[in-house]
Amino acid sequence: MKHTISILLICISTFALAQNPAAKTEKDFYEIKTLPIPQDIYLEIGGIATMPDGRLGVSTRRGEIWIIENPYQKDSHQTYYRRFASGMHEILGLAYKDGAFYCSQRGELTKVSDTDRDGVADRYEPIYQFQLSGNYHEYTYGPVFDKNGDMWVTLNLAWVGFGEGKFSKWRGWLVKISPDGKLEPFAAGLRSPAGYSINQEGDIFYGENQGDWVGSGRVTHLAKGDFAGNPGGLKWAKEPNSPFKLTLEEIPDNGAPMFEAAKKVKNLKLPAVWFPHAIMGISTSDILQDTTGGKFSPFPGQYFVADQGQSKVMRMGLEKVNGVYQGFCINYREGFQSGILRERFGLDGSMFVGMTSRGWGSTGKDNFGLQRLIWNGITPFEINMIEARSDGFEISFTQAVDVNSVKKAASYALRSYIYKYHHQYGSPIIDVKDLTIKGIVVSADKKKVRFVLDNVRQYFIHEFKLTGVKNEAGEPLLHETAYYTLNQIPSGDKVVLNASNSPVVEKVVVEKKVSKVENAKGSTIISDNEAMALLKKHTCVACHAREEKLIGPSFTDISKRKYSDKQILALVYKPNPKNWPDFATEMAPMSHVPAKDVLKIASWINGLTQKRANDALINRD
Amino acid sequence: MKKLFLLLLMPCVSWAQQEIPLNDLRAFDQPSSNWTIEQAVKANFTDTSFQVSAGKGILVNTLRNGKYKRSDDLKFKLNHGDIRLMLDFMLPKGANSGIYLQGRYEVQLFDSFAKKQRMKFGDCGGIYERWDDARGKGNEGYEGYAPRQNACKAPGLWQSIEIDFQAPRFDAAGKKIKNAVIKKVILNGILVQENIEVSGMTRGALFEKEAAMGPIIIQGDHGPIAFKNLRYETYEKPTVSLGDLNYSYYEGAFTNLQANNAIPLLKAKATEITGKTIKVQKDFLLVYEGELNVPEADTYEFITNWTGKGRLEVDGQVLNQGDYWYTDRVSQSKALSAGKHTFKLSFSKDFSWGNRALGLFVKRIGSHTVALHARTSLPDPEAVGLIEVKAESEPVYQRSFAFHQGVKKTHVIHVGDPAGVHFSYDLNQGGLMQVWRGKFLNATQMWENRGEPQTAEPLGLNQVLDAKFPLVISGQAQPDSVNNAQWMYKGYRIHQGRPVFMYQWDNVLLEDNLVPNSNGTGWTRTLSWKAKQGSNPSFDLILGTSTSVVKVQPGLISLDGNQYFVQWNGGSETVQNLSNGKQQVRIPAQGNSISYQVIW
Repeated sequence: MKHTISILLICISTFALAQNPAAKTEKDFYEIKTLPIPQDIYLEIGGIATMPDGRLGVSTRRGEIWIIENPYQKDSHQTYYRRFASGMHEILGLAYKDGAFYCSQRGELTKVSDTDRDGVADRYEPIYQFQLSGNYHEYTYGPVFDKNGDMWVTLNLAWVGFGEGKFSKWRGWLVKISPDGKLEPFAAGLRSPAGYSINQEGDIFYGENQGDWVGSGRVTHLAKGDFAGNPGGLKWAKEPNSPFKLTLEEIPDNGAPMFEAAKKVKNLKLPAVWFPHAIMGISTSDILQDTTGGKFSPFPGQYFVADQGQSKVMRMGLEKVNGVYQGFCINYREGFQSGILRERFGLDGSMFVGMTSRGWGSTGKDNFGLQRLIWNGITPFEINMIEARSDGFEISFTQAVDVNSVKKAASYALRSYIYKYHHQYGSPIIDVKDLTIKGIVVSADKKKVRFVLDNVRQYFIHEFKLTGVKNEAGEPLLHETAYYTLNQIPSGDKVVLNASNSPVVEKVVVEKKVSKVENAKGSTIISDNEAMALLKKHTCVACHAREEKLIGPSFTDISKRKYSDKQILALVYKPNPKNWPDFATEMAPMSHVPAKDVLKIASWINGLTQKRANDALINRD
Repeated sequence: MKKLFLLLLMPCVSWAQQEIPLNDLRAFDQPSSNWTIEQAVKANFTDTSFQVSAGKGILVNTLRNGKYKRSDDLKFKLNHGDIRLMLDFMLPKGANSGIYLQGRYEVQLFDSFAKKQRMKFGDCGGIYERWDDARGKGNEGYEGYAPRQNACKAPGLWQSIEIDFQAPRFDAAGKKIKNAVIKKVILNGILVQENIEVSGMTRGALFEKEAAMGPIIIQGDHGPIAFKNLRYETYEKPTVSLGDLNYSYYEGAFTNLQANNAIPLLKAKATEITGKTIKVQKDFLLVYEGELNVPEADTYEFITNWTGKGRLEVDGQVLNQGDYWYTDRVSQSKALSAGKHTFKLSFSKDFSWGNRALGLFVKRIGSHTVALHARTSLPDPEAVGLIEVKAESEPVYQRSFAFHQGVKKTHVIHVGDPAGVHFSYDLNQGGLMQVWRGKFLNATQMWENRGEPQTAEPLGLNQVLDAKFPLVISGQAQPDSVNNAQWMYKGYRIHQGRPVFMYQWDNVLLEDNLVPNSNGTGWTRTLSWKAKQGSNPSFDLILGTSTSVVKVQPGLISLDGNQYFVQWNGGSETVQNLSNGKQQVRIPAQGNSISYQVIW
């Protein structure tokens, strides 16, 4: 019953938002500015390097390095593209150091320099030559320089129906390469490590894509000798210079969560933060810590994690509990033009976002693009930080909250779940449990709220939906849903529960249902508006649109398949990618969506072809 | 994802060629004394005539009486209609000849080597003009088709041409109802003409009128030319047709394509095989049964395409079966006696996506491949637009994966030059993989979609080389690959727009520099080195390893059966017989550098 009420509330609030012109959106705070690209340049961006003189280096999948002048377009100055280098093999990472570019080609970490200073590269020197099998999926990313001047490189697994690293040395690994070409294997278990970076403390984090042995997207902190979960590259753990020893046979493949496996496999490293698949992206890419000292965002020190498939930037807040990184993720800004692969800060604290969607569809429709994400200095009402407490969590907000809204039990929907760890591609969410709020304590400045919860579970993803929380102006949160990964439960004081801090439970009066549109067969079909609300709520629209092919097929195309509503339900819960061989990205199991919502959506989808047929008849005269 | 780039829907049957033996001139109709059978010819690319070795195996035209007579043209006894003709030819410098299909339609053979100007119909691989005086002075010539690009090799090298010709068709009254079509001309592996319809004969035709049949004629009036490997297939034989066709259509799931005792929803006579009769999205079984009218006892190849499950049975014997996508070609041959045979084609698709494609072809040697299904029953595969890298105003270099003799190499750079010559190079081996002339690079397999092959291919006239590093320590054998413990790739520097490759080999710093030769006819490769103090290396340069080495003149050899030339200045070569039966040519290197040219 509680569940029903919360869903109705969401629907009501969604409609309220849609109808209220004053409702704030991401655009009101975070501007996306598009850089023009000359028509004959295929700027399929694999790497970005900010240059200290204000120019911008961009590397492409077609093997070029472009230097863009006036990328900030200040004072009406126009961008200008000069081709600095060309002919390399799919450059998926770029760095600029001491007057030279460093980049990763598929088979080589390369230094590219201009020795005669005519503005065009004339020297291409290998720092390190990587083995390759010839499999297209053996991508090479980087380098990222550390403070000592060493270069970090990640090596993607081959794809042979599953991720395989055995064909070429150190595939599936994070390696460190010195300027004179010495390679040190550092951590393993990587599947598709397209984005990684080093934070202010010098710790390295990488973003992983859902796939085999990876139930969902995630960000993992890699220390030396860590094994991040995908065993494709474990062949190389037998090498004498491997920092650890581990074989595939030692890894349980029974579908139990990763944390269970980690109890047996010493080196298995749990993610710092899980990014629930399809909700918080479908293909995690770059990670960047906000080190701009307040220029880029209202969240200095937090991390900005991009997603290729959903063309958006998410925010991640980390804390260290018992020496282990953990934290939360939340949406930040969606609506970029193509699939985001790279993020780099400009000199002014804005973020350059480099994109390509060739081979992997994205919500942003362009084939490639370069945009800049700029904060206008106004702080929205947002969750600032979530921290674990001995008896629950403390959430801080950017603005003082309306205490009444915060105290209401009905303002929240909280639950926790986890993913399977197995060789199959992806995972449904498993072991879902609702969380009950036992106590709510608001700080004196009304910017922090402490929640005492029942059923907090170590290692699980804790989903926070703060749908009813308002600021003092009565505005809702810009983003109401966050996901906290609880690797460690801290010790510390516990809240003493009493009447003053127990949540307020009100009876919710639900208006009578408006009459539904009936179709010829007598079953009910929801209206387009209701359907869109559900589709948005369950993030279906991230991959599907009504008429257009996005990452997945359009709803109209799905309706042409004439599945029954129940077949659609089955396929939503357990997709069969073979049904859509023309689509590059496999659909994730969406079993967390309530069956009755899926059935409503299914009947709406199936109504589309019927509706079209009816329209055709109507149009006939 | 389905990758369809390389699949052709029309089944490409390995054609059964007949060879015209060149032990004597019996295959030809009253050849003039210009035409002789010889053992071999050779020539420098600057020579206007051949050096001839007596013997058997090749056909040579030598202009003996200085003056052209019509009877100097070589007429084959073979009379043909549709034909696929494949032969090798060698031209000396300036040579001009042509192949007249049916004695009427000329495909030009001409020494267009290294011609930089736009190709014309009179260039090698061109379809020569028709002629009509009535069109008025200066406009008499028409319907000439230039080759798509210059695919002509150097004089003195063997070249190959393949012509697929469709004869004109005539009605019973002898009236032409369909023009002749040059379906394909493939010159030295490059498709230079495709599907060119010609409304009439070439000006120099031997006959007054077009006809269903005619002999091949080779023009012998403009000087020397040599031929070998004359092979052809003609298509006059009758082939299989369908008779008494019936179909049964069932809905529901039928495992193993067995209808068992189910009652068909539809059952009727049919005129053609098609997958389009199906009404439902999925779960059906469609069975065609009928007769195959076999005109003559022979072996017939049955080729099927379908999306889903299918099975072809002939006389109760299962030939092709299984789960396939429609672009998969499944084939099996069966010997059939003349007369009627039964066949059964079962087709089921238990999923809703994909085209309801169904195709059945039959091929008999000496007859065209015939589709026994309706045209609409089998869709064309998805076509992908070419992604071309051009080298027009300045040198261009591009790395990719690339195949070399069937092996995928991963550290390859292709270098294209505005001079019109290009090469591929294995950076890990310091090896020249291939050289070509014409258009530069096809990057479609790398840059379309994910680019799963990640390969790039030459778009012009290509000569594959051995891809081995050519320097060895004096007197030592050439290894299959360099020893990576002693030999290190150090990158490349750009000099005058082109990469110069750098290596460290023990104590020696090496550079490998390729520059187009002065005529743009090939590459000049210069290897130079600096030894660290104290060492004094001495190298041999391996010029090539080949089944046969032809010494054309001092400083010029041709390799791989006159496929390409290697030229150098000074130093006489040593030819070693290797244990694998090949011959290897080496010259000693003096000083700190050595150069040679590859010309093809």
